[in-house]
Order: sequence, then structure tokens, then C-alpha cells
Amino acid sequence: MFQNKIYLLLFIVLSLVAGCKKTIKETGNISGISNEIQYAKGFEMYDFENFKILKITQPWQGATETTVYVLANDVNNIPDSLAHLTKVQIPVKSIVVTSTTHIPSLVTLNETTSLKAFPGLDFISSEEVQRLINEDKIKEISDGIGVNFELTIDVNPEVVIANGGNDSFEKYRQIQQAGIPVIYNGDWVEYTPLGKAEWIKLFGVLYDKEEEATTFFNQVVAEYEKAKQTVSKTTSKPTVFSGAMYEDIWYAPQGDSWTAQIIADAGGEYVWANHSGTGSLSMAFEQVLDDAQEVEYWIGPAQFVSYSEMQHANIYYKEFTAFQTKKVYTYSARKGVTGGLIFYEEATNRPDILLKDYICVLHPEVFPEHELYFLAPLTD
Amino acid sequence: MNNSKTYLIFIFLSIVLVAMFFVNLAVGSLAIPVSEVFSVLFKGEAGKPSWEYIVLGFRLPKAIVAILTGISLPIAGMLMQSLFRNPMAEPYVLGLSSGASLGVAFVVLGAGFLPLGIQQYATSAYSLVLASVAGSFLVLFAVLLAINKVKSTATLLIIGLMFSSFAGAFVGVLSYFSTAEDLKRFTFWAMGSLSNHSWHDIFILFVATFAGIIICLFLIKSLNTLMLGESYAQTMGVNIRKTRYQIIIATGILTGSITAFVGPIAFIGLAVPHISRIVFKTGNHFVLFFANMIIGAIVLLLSDTLSQIPGSSMVLPINAVTSIIGAPIVISMLLKHKNI
Repeated sequence: MFQNKIYLLLFIVLSLVAGCKKTIKETGNISGISNEIQYAKGFEMYDFENFKILKITQPWQGATETTVYVLANDVNNIPDSLAHLTKVQIPVKSIVVTSTTHIPSLVTLNETTSLKAFPGLDFISSEEVQRLINEDKIKEISDGIGVNFELTIDVNPEVVIANGGNDSFEKYRQIQQAGIPVIYNGDWVEYTPLGKAEWIKLFGVLYDKEEEATTFFNQVVAEYEKAKQTVSKTTSKPTVFSGAMYEDIWYAPQGDSWTAQIIADAGGEYVWANHSGTGSLSMAFEQVLDDAQEVEYWIGPAQFVSYSEMQHANIYYKEFTAFQTKKVYTYSARKGVTGGLIFYEEATNRPDILLKDYICVLHPEVFPEHELYFLAPLTD
Repeated sequence: MNNSKTYLIFIFLSIVLVAMFFVNLAVGSLAIPVSEVFSVLFKGEAGKPSWEYIVLGFRLPKAIVAILTGISLPIAGMLMQSLFRNPMAEPYVLGLSSGASLGVAFVVLGAGFLPLGIQQYATSAYSLVLASVAGSFLVLFAVLLAINKVKSTATLLIIGLMFSSFAGAFVGVLSYFSTAEDLKRFTFWAMGSLSNHSWHDIFILFVATFAGIIICLFLIKSLNTLMLGESYAQTMGVNIRKTRYQIIIATGILTGSITAFVGPIAFIGLAVPHISRIVFKTGNHFVLFFANMIIGAIVLLLSDTLSQIPGSSMVLPINAVTSIIGAPIVISMLLKHKNI
């Protein structure tokens, strides 16, 4: 009898939840429905029966406002309480993305033909997208700094996926005011490798291909975790440092950054792991030399791809043991046909491959069959 | 000021210079015990191999570049102030730094307009030096051409200022269209840097500085006469046109080489000649010549030492430090000694 009452109560609660009387507070949680996002900190997704709620909580570093969107197959058929939110009709048929990190999601979900324009076409490396560019299917909308307002309006996409900090906010606000929904993609603010990769789910929901996106992401997670597990059995922990100098200042990833986490997960010891923070460290050369002169590996010396290039740029680089023993690895060597870096485009979505690259460098015996994809040793 | 007092001040300043040199070597962003620094300098050994390199490979060349910069710019400033008989003149008054900035701006900021594949070649350290040299010499050449057409020195000053505005606007347009990263690189260049110079670079800088000050040494008599007015100097047998040429060439060599290697270092060239005049209370260029060299070197070494912020791993750009410390000092000196 008691059990029946419980079931009855549950039934009532569930029908209330699934019913049309759902209220959403922009600052709070959405009762009854749980967030589908596990790793990413910058967005939340809630799947309701006739619509989906997307919350972008961290569009850029230090952003304080959360933007809420309602996505539906029929935007005219959503509860009145949600009418004030920005509405996006899904599946999206035409899109403008603004960062190369958005491109692989379109490729994975087989939606490259929906891409109508991009600022800085030369930066795109994907062969599939380059073919569409050559066929004049994708327009250039860069004005030299970012997205040109008039050109974007002219393309008239169903949605613009924005990327950038507070500085570009004004421009995107104009586009939004012109009636084109703008969704900020904060993948670049995420500081965990899997958190970055999870942003593919944003594209999944836009194209009504959530399942494909989730399957793909889960596979990346599984591969990543497996590789991390495998390398954790090794006993040695080679030391690693990163970054390069801009005039007098050395910039390197901070201890909680994406890079630092991948190094740790790959069984390496990042020399600045104790410097907490997710951004970049800026240090004087003296400090860097003192910390890293005898460090074994130098991974990610900014844009450099050869030892001679580095030596020309700065006379101090040759003082590091990693430079002398030729243990410097770069992510800048692999480029697309028009010169864009593959790393910048694809690594966000494929942290599993990046992790295996790091493992391959630091512990070559673990995955002997793996070939470096993003990383490459510097040439002479 | 009598001779013995002048000598005393020179001896005192020389001691300060030597002391500043060692302080500069001993203090840096990394705290290395002073005993270790001296052990590296005089015995060539240190507790850690990185310390050895920091002292001999990093701090020592930087200190020498600071001294060369401290010698060159005030001398160039003195030459310009005497040529134009204007206390506001400085080494860059002819537009040399604007020319250099424009050259570097084209390479750094304009690189964005090149295909991605070629961009990397445009941003190596040497391309900056070359662009800077090309920019300043282009302006120098234009100024030398202008001398033939222009009789009045004041007109030359205006032409220099006009060129600065022209180049400044161009740099502005390039900055507006460049990426944040390129803009940062350009801004950093404009902030100046005494480091990242090989001994080979330093040798070139030394030769240029030496050549510039030798020309200046031969000009001292003419400079003293010029201060009394161009027509007076002419009656005293000074060939004004030839002297102008020589002054501009010396300034071009001194300023151009420093700007190319170190960046457009502000303030020193304007301020040190004033400090020298106030300290020695003289208009005699022979005294001022040596005074500018010593005081300039001291100021640059001091600025560099302070830019390191001991105990912190941050460094301030040299250009910011020279102006932040220099400006209040010069203003207070000017208020105390109203006549310059």
C-alpha cells in the first residue's frame, strides 16, 4: 500500500516535470532536468520534451553573465515563460562559425555544407572544408580584425557561433540585434582537455545530432582515460617545460592549464606545475633558465619548428639542455594547405590523440605503434 | 665652475659608474648570492651552471648594451640640442625613431597581410633589426636631402616633426588592422629591450657608438661656436652646412644603431644632456661630452637594475623605467635650477 503511494507521488512529480508548466530561472538550476554536460564548465544543456535549454555560463575569461537560449524544432511552440529567451530553430541549416576549433565538430557531424562563411578562410586546414571554399560555397567575412558586420548580415545564417573575449562583444551584439542568434563558444576558456572536447555537444544539439555528438565524445573520453591508465603504470616521470620568449618575457602555460594537465596525464612532470592558474605565466629569462635549464623535454616552443629558427630568434634558447640534446617538440609543424595550424584546429576535439602524442614523446615504449600527429620533433 | 671641482665630480661619477656596473650584475630577477656573482666574474665558477650563464651570458652583455646605449643617446641628444639651439630637441627629433618604428611596424604588423607560409620569415629577430635600420636610414637620407633645400635649421626641425606624425599615422593604421598578438609584439619592441644580444651584435653596436662619438669629438669646437648663433659661428669660420651634415650623420649612426638593436629608448637622449648641464653648470661641450657619456651610462644601468624588480620574476620594459624614474628627477632639477 505504502509502496503504491510512493509510485503515485513519483508519477505526479514526473508528470509535473514533463508537463508544459516548466519555469526557468536564468540564474538557478532547472528543476527536475539534469545538466547533460559532464566535463565542460562553460555551458549547460537541459533536454526537455519539445525544446532544449542551452546555458552559456563562461563565454570568455571572467565573464559574469550567463546567456540562456531555447532551441526547438518549432520555436513557435515553446512555453510562454521562455518567450523572452533567444530562440534558435533546430536543426540548423546554415551557420557561421568563427574559430577553427569549431570546424572539426562540423566535419565529425557531417555538417560542413551548412557552413556559409568564416573569418579568415586561410586558417582552416580541413581538406573537406577547403574543397567547399574552393567551390565558393563558404564566404570570407573577415575585416582584418574579426567578423565584419555587414558581410555577416549579408550571409544571413540561422546562427553565428561566436568566439572571443569581451572586446568583440559589441560587434556580436550588433549581429544579434539584427536578428541573428549569436551563441558564444567558450571552448578556449575550458581548462580541462575533456572539457574542451565536450563542446562538440553544442554542435550536436544545434544540428539535432546529439546522439552522434555524444557517441563521438564518449569515445574520446574512453580513449583518453585508457591511455592515461596505461601510462600511469610507468615508473619514471620525465620533466617537461614549455613556452618561449617575447622580447624579454617568457610565456608558458600555468600549472592548472590544459597543457599542464595533459603533461601530467601523459606521465610527465611539468616544471611549473605548482604555479596555480589556468592562463599563461610570464617570467623573466633568469628565472626560466634557473628552473628549466636541465629539464629533459621542451614541448611547445610557440611558433618555432626548427632549431636554427630558434637560434636566430633568441640567443638564449641554446642554453637549455633540451635544446642541446634535441628534445624539443613543436605543435606548429603540421599545417593545412593554406598554412593554418592543424593543432589549433583539431586538438581541442581530439585530446585523446594529443595525449598519446605526449605519451609517445615522454614514454616511447608505451604505445610503440602510435605515430605523432600534433607534435613533431624540431628539424635542424 | 673651476677645473678642480669639475675633476672631482668626474672622479665621483666614475666611481658611481663602476659601482652601478657591479650592482647591475649582482641584481636580477633571480636572487643569486653576491658572493656567487663575484665568484663567476673573477673565478669563472658558480654553485649552479645556470648561474654562471645568467651572470656571464645574460647580465654582462645586457650591462654592456646598457652602457653603450647610455653613451650614444645622450651624445646624440646633445648634438641635436646644440644644432637646433632648442632644449626640447632629442635624438629622435629628426624622425629617426619614427622611421625605425615604421620599418618594424611594416614587418611585424604588416606580416598579417602576407600569406601564412611567409609570415614566419618576417618575424625573426634579424628582420626587425634590418627593418629598423632601413626605416631610420631612409629618414636620415631624406633629411640629408632636405638640408640642401632648406636654409633654416628651424625648418629642418619642423620637417623632422612632420615626418614623425606621418609615420605615426601609418603605424596607427597598421596597428588598427593587426592581430592582438602582432600588436603586442610591436608594442614590446617599442618598449625597448637591452637583452638578447650576442657578442657579435654588441661588437657592431660598439663600433657604431665608437664611430659616432669620434665624429662628435671633432665637432666639439664647432658646437661651442654654434651655441652663439649661426651667423656668429659663420664669422668665426665654421662651415655651417658641413657641420650640419656631420652632426646629422653622427646622430644618425648613434641613434640608428641603438634603435635597431635596443628599440626606441625614450627620455635618455632628452634628459641626460640637461642633467649634465645642471651638474657641471657649463655650456662647454668638451666637458658635456664626457659628462653625458658617464651620466648616461649610470642612468641606463640604474634603470635596467630597477626594471628587474629583485625577488620577483617579472621585468619591466626598459623604456617605461627610464621615463618613470627620469621624468620626476629632471622636473625637480629644472625647478631648482631655473636656467638651462
